[in-house]
Amino acid sequence: MITAATTAVPVTWLLARAAGLVAFALLTVALMLGLALSTRLLGNKRGKMLLGWHQTLMWTGFAMVVLHGTALALDPVMRFGFVAVLVPGMAPWRAVPVAAGIVTGWIMLALAVSFHVRRRIGQRPWRLMHYASFAAFSVGLYHALNVGTDLVATRGLIFAGIMSAPVVWLVVARILMPRPGARKAPSVPAPPAPATTEQHPSEERQTLVPA
Amino acid sequence: MRNVWATIFATWALFAVLAVLAWTRPLPAAQPANVPGAVVVQGKNGTSHLVVVQGSAGTTHATTRTSPTPAG
Repeated sequence: MITAATTAVPVTWLLARAAGLVAFALLTVALMLGLALSTRLLGNKRGKMLLGWHQTLMWTGFAMVVLHGTALALDPVMRFGFVAVLVPGMAPWRAVPVAAGIVTGWIMLALAVSFHVRRRIGQRPWRLMHYASFAAFSVGLYHALNVGTDLVATRGLIFAGIMSAPVVWLVVARILMPRPGARKAPSVPAPPAPATTEQHPSEERQTLVPA
Repeated sequence: MRNVWATIFATWALFAVLAVLAWTRPLPAAQPANVPGAVVVQGKNGTSHLVVVQGSAGTTHATTRTSPTPAG
């Protein structure tokens, strides 16, 4: 009965495509939240709540990636199998873009787990590890545009624009805006400058020349 | 609670995208109903004739609507 149903309506194929699109959307929103947190564009008070959503959306996105991979592995037409879905480069069809998607999934898992081992690994390694989210976004977009059958031609460009524009804007804001943890200029008044600097260079030279 | 809301949101998003994909799914092309062909017709006196049958212009097309029941 399952075989008959899948041949009539490609349930697994539709599920794989839908889960892939939702997973990438969740990854994008999680990345945007993380960037907004680091720039404090959304305010300081809601930081803890937004950090929680940032973490939750990463896990939810990874759950969608699992659904995406499982549906592809079970699809009777694609016949990927679980090994091809889990190991990059083992796919029988368009190996490189599919491998990009698998790498994105593994990076998302690592990022989601990193929230729970943050204290153990330390703040600085955790932050460095978080830069992998940009790689996950870029590689995931490459995967979506190259093997996503729903994102061809104009639709693909529109999708890439909608997803990338807020991320690029937030990255630029992150680069240009002062970092929240950056040290401010010392507020202690500078000591009075020596009198020689107030003098004209010619006068200074005169003082230096021995009489 | 946040996890519950995220799960509900993601599930609804999944179903929404699934519905759009299923709705916009291209249906398989319908087989041409009447194509030109040749038919061998046996005559009364035992002779056979080759008759070329043309496809009719007003061919039926694939539809999801069922035909009306004949009156009477």
